[in-house]
Amino acid sequence: MKKLYEHSATELAAMLRAKDVSAVEITKATLGRIEEVESKVDAFLTVTAEQALQQAQQVDESIAAGKPLAPLAGIPVAIKDNICTKGVRTTCASRMLENFVPPYNATVMEKLAAQGAVLPGKLNMDEFAMGGSCENSYFKPTKNPWDTARVPGGSSGGSAASVASCEVPLALGSDTGGSIRCPASFCGIVGLKPTYGAVSRYGLVAFASSLDQIGPFGRTVDDVALLYRAICGHDPKDATSREAALGEVEAKVKGLRLGVPKEYFGDGISAEVKTAVYGAIETLKGLGADVVEISLPSTDYALAAYYIISSAEASSNLARYDGVKYGFSGRRDGTLNDLYLSTRSEGFGAEVKRRIMLGTHVLSSGYYDAYYKRAKLLQNVIAKEFADAFENCDLIVTPVNPTTAFKLGEKVSDPVQMYATDVCTVTVNIAGLPGLSLPCGTGEGGLPIGMQLIGPKFSEARLLSVAKSYETAVGGFAVKEM
Amino acid sequence: MEIDVKHIAKLAKLDIPETELGKMEKELSSIVAMVEKLPELTSKESLLDPQNTMQLRPDEVKPSFPREEMLKNVPETAAGCLMVPKVVE
Repeated sequence: MKKLYEHSATELAAMLRAKDVSAVEITKATLGRIEEVESKVDAFLTVTAEQALQQAQQVDESIAAGKPLAPLAGIPVAIKDNICTKGVRTTCASRMLENFVPPYNATVMEKLAAQGAVLPGKLNMDEFAMGGSCENSYFKPTKNPWDTARVPGGSSGGSAASVASCEVPLALGSDTGGSIRCPASFCGIVGLKPTYGAVSRYGLVAFASSLDQIGPFGRTVDDVALLYRAICGHDPKDATSREAALGEVEAKVKGLRLGVPKEYFGDGISAEVKTAVYGAIETLKGLGADVVEISLPSTDYALAAYYIISSAEASSNLARYDGVKYGFSGRRDGTLNDLYLSTRSEGFGAEVKRRIMLGTHVLSSGYYDAYYKRAKLLQNVIAKEFADAFENCDLIVTPVNPTTAFKLGEKVSDPVQMYATDVCTVTVNIAGLPGLSLPCGTGEGGLPIGMQLIGPKFSEARLLSVAKSYETAVGGFAVKEM
Repeated sequence: MEIDVKHIAKLAKLDIPETELGKMEKELSSIVAMVEKLPELTSKESLLDPQNTMQLRPDEVKPSFPREEMLKNVPETAAGCLMVPKVVE
């Protein structure tokens, strides 16, 4: 029989309604599982056991009083540590925010609280969401549940590892250039990067504001849909957010045209990843989808454009960390400038400094037109190429990562090699589109491989429906026993 | 291309130790080399997303966060204010 912690959120919600289990029992199972495997995966930075049990207790009281239950009531949802949680420290996995306790909730947290979701804790990540391996955390690297000598991917590595190891059924992460899809793929679970503007960014610590987006992780497609439905929609506190609601998700792929862009299956993509993704495309074809070859010629330039735009915005966003208003504070026995310098030099890690330096360089006098403006114009070109492609297909299928999860320490010394792992994911952020990562097989050593479904803006229901068809056809996704 | 790491560090308010200047310049150069592959574009298109008009919220008078709450995260405070090193003689 399945253990309680192994159940999906959708199953737990049904069990709760049937009174087969209480919310407190679910939360205790989650906390017990965290206790059991956390020393192996290191996914959490903060565990909020007491608060979680109180929240679960309140849900049980509501049930006892016969009140109607919201879809996520009593379901544990762990949160990436760059999403502000009122009264619970939010570190961004940085020394800079080691002791920062937000006085307010991010809008997504308000939405989860309104549904009675339970917060078991905050999850590890690359510092300020900059990285693709979770090794840039100031505190500790998170491990991949499938092989703890390997990275879980990043930057939302804690989110993916906590869901994949059944510590929690659901987690939230954020995605600026692939930070949801990359770890979902490395850890063999489902992750959705919503359309830019579909989910409020209010309370998400800013990295690159024009690219950042919060999104859900789960072990099943239904679970990801459940959490996305709870968090999407317009928020007056985020001017870039827009009306968004998730339509019906039902296994459906017949007659849909799948675009396969040749640029995403080039030399940089390993043979086992290509084989797995092509295999998944064949499966979808068998379910009645039509496959069309398409071309997205500017893909080769996307990575460079991404690093210009994201670093430029990061250098500007991270200027707020000055040691005065909140966060780490450096030496105060010199001038104000000394305080700024020591705060930022000691508070930020190496990768964050590298991005701030790059961003400062591309925005500095005389370079703006050559770099930032050129990248922004290229962004238009890339978005237009996608829009044209969607004239001929309903969604696009690509790999998520060029390889399976690499070993801890394997790429940390070479930033360009590390950045190259984002090659299949950054275009989606640049064009503001939704992208879904779902498992499509395994490579050497049984390591998970993910495929990416990309759709037009606000086509989340379509992506999830196709994903659900695939999930049903393959009999669900494997969970690693730990 | 030459990158003046010291100058950029000054603008970014970061202290890069002398011993790391070379490494930082090498790393930045390799990233900039990637960037220099970008094609020249002569488009005069707007850099804004025409589909997202970004509605501003109404400008209403309402209570803000209590001062004590906001000061809880401030590294050094005095008399309800945040403290910085002296900036004028």
